[in-house]
Amino acid sequence: MTARNPATSTPLRIVWVVISLAFVVLSVRVGFGATPKIVTDFSNSIALSLAFGGLVLLTHYLGLLSLGQGALVGVGAYAALHAVNDFGAPVVWMPLAGLLAGTLVGAIVAIPSLRLPKAYLALLTLSLAVAYPIILKQVDGNLPVTLDGEFVAPSWTGIAEEDEHIWELFLVTIYASAALFLVQGLLRGPIGRAFIASRDEPEAARAFGVPVYRLRLYGVALSGGMAGLAGGLLMIPTNFNDFTHYPEELSIKMFALAIAFGGSRLISSVPAALILIFLPVWLIDRNWVVEYGWVGLFKSEGFIYAALLLATAYLTRGKGFMHLFERRKPRNIETAVTTNRGASLVADQLVALENQLNRIEGFVGERPDISSRQEPND
Amino acid sequence: MSLFLQRTFDSLANGSAYAALAVAISMVFRSTGVLNLAQGQLAMFSTYIALVFATGPSPYLKFSSNTDVLGAAWPIWAAILGAVVISMVIGAFTERVIIRPISADPVAAIGATLGLYLLLGAFVRKQWGGRTMFLGSPFPQTVDDRWDIGGARLWHDSVGITLTMIGVLGLLAVLQRRTKVGLAFRAVTSNRTGSLMVGIRVSRVLMLGWALAAGIGALAGGLIAGEINVRPDMMGRLLIFGLAAATLGGLRSPVLAFVGGYLFAFLETMLGGYVSFIDSQVTLVWALLVLIVVLFVRPSGLLPRSEAWQQR
Repeated sequence: MTARNPATSTPLRIVWVVISLAFVVLSVRVGFGATPKIVTDFSNSIALSLAFGGLVLLTHYLGLLSLGQGALVGVGAYAALHAVNDFGAPVVWMPLAGLLAGTLVGAIVAIPSLRLPKAYLALLTLSLAVAYPIILKQVDGNLPVTLDGEFVAPSWTGIAEEDEHIWELFLVTIYASAALFLVQGLLRGPIGRAFIASRDEPEAARAFGVPVYRLRLYGVALSGGMAGLAGGLLMIPTNFNDFTHYPEELSIKMFALAIAFGGSRLISSVPAALILIFLPVWLIDRNWVVEYGWVGLFKSEGFIYAALLLATAYLTRGKGFMHLFERRKPRNIETAVTTNRGASLVADQLVALENQLNRIEGFVGERPDISSRQEPND
Repeated sequence: MSLFLQRTFDSLANGSAYAALAVAISMVFRSTGVLNLAQGQLAMFSTYIALVFATGPSPYLKFSSNTDVLGAAWPIWAAILGAVVISMVIGAFTERVIIRPISADPVAAIGATLGLYLLLGAFVRKQWGGRTMFLGSPFPQTVDDRWDIGGARLWHDSVGITLTMIGVLGLLAVLQRRTKVGLAFRAVTSNRTGSLMVGIRVSRVLMLGWALAAGIGALAGGLIAGEINVRPDMMGRLLIFGLAAATLGGLRSPVLAFVGGYLFAFLETMLGGYVSFIDSQVTLVWALLVLIVVLFVRPSGLLPRSEAWQQR
């Protein structure tokens, strides 16, 4: 995985532009053509893709494990909702309160845990995931808290007042696209390369002056901020919040999808978010959630996520399925050979020597009298 | 004073469960470097197995109605021991089939343990449903089964659970300190390459470590089920306290993890009992805050700093 591939070809760039345009067209088409329920689900998916982007940043760029991303989304949702209800913040800007809260909580969790082995971040974030619903229940009570505000589309958009879900979708898309674009730009630059250096060779990175601890701290805070912003954005289509929205299972599912679909591009977070939102809808539509026994097990969400995690662990060694598409042939091999002719000559001779040694070994293997004389010394 | 004594007594049973899970987590992490997040779910699963053994023919529990295999209901002790044995086999199988092929990559290994976590949860929910069930305690549990000490009630089952766990963990310590298997285990946790070079079968030792950890977790689950009842999410809270307790030992010291288990249970009971705005649910949060503060002040937990730094 590389932060920047200077050799990205023009056709590849064109493919990316086409994919992006197709996504924009799809968003507009869904916005104006689908039912309000699907539009709301789509808005939720786009918002959550930001949280997945944060997880991809952690797992694939920094090599860190966060099992509390769902809780950080919840923190952002809580902050955004109360920024409007308690402090009178404009509803359009409320996701920024989520961004701030997510960044702060991410940093607070990261400061002690990053001083220790990487497992501690997983441990503390998992604890956060378990603790979050309990805290929210204590703070907000058992009943849902509703947002004191509405999203009315400006008249120039031509969106009718009863079609606020379309305006909400566009708001969420604008926020999420801007944030993903900014973070992707950050990751393609020196900061992204420093992240990868601190992941692959932390000692060498330190030797080259990269502040590894501080960099990881910024990374976790940025990831938390993305999750918090996603939480704030979720409040736009959802409009209410309660303690059952962000259980620890959500964080674990998000982790599973992030490591399965994550890669060196944040855009890989979009399919993960779509699966997270639409898989339960699909299972409910087929009435599979009420089946029990072995058949019910194979059709359950838990089993599907477990299979996904185990398949990712075995087939990709935890690098994610997108990684399988990122293997590229090494460039300019011929140039390297011609410019390092001396080195290649030595390498050729070493290979020839190894072949000779293998032949001798085979010969000794066929002569028990020789090999038995050698064994005591071995 | 009697109230303080009562709360101290109340923390004993939970402390035993936290301590057992913490020791199991530490054992696995110390030997393989893998944080086994499925430890709690393994314990929950084996508690259901104990329930199947203990229930006998029952229309509500699948597999238990198969009298050809299980016969009539087993006594609770036998049911728990049967579950421990099965859990040890599952632990060894997990290490051999799931963890060993990917143990070199920590992300893959943690992902696999989370996969196991989800798989066991889904299995239990789909086979036995999500309702609460009652296993009962292997120790006397009636209102008269208690000692009155200084105005506080010390229940027999709390003492039984605590002594059993202390006994089992003591046996584990003896196994590690006084036997060849224990010596091999200590060698592997200390230096795996060196152990290979002197002829220790590292893979078998690691498998044994996972089996023992699963067995300890199963025992804790079976014993504590009499207190908290059996349901699919019964181990969530216990796992978090177990992880927190293991952290006090830097995830590497079973002895400190054991102490941490009782310490966190004590803290949980005292906070819930003496601080008016903390109810029993929120004690988990305060315990986590304590953990964060401990990590701020002393990142290595209670371990000597030099030892903890070697893990980085």
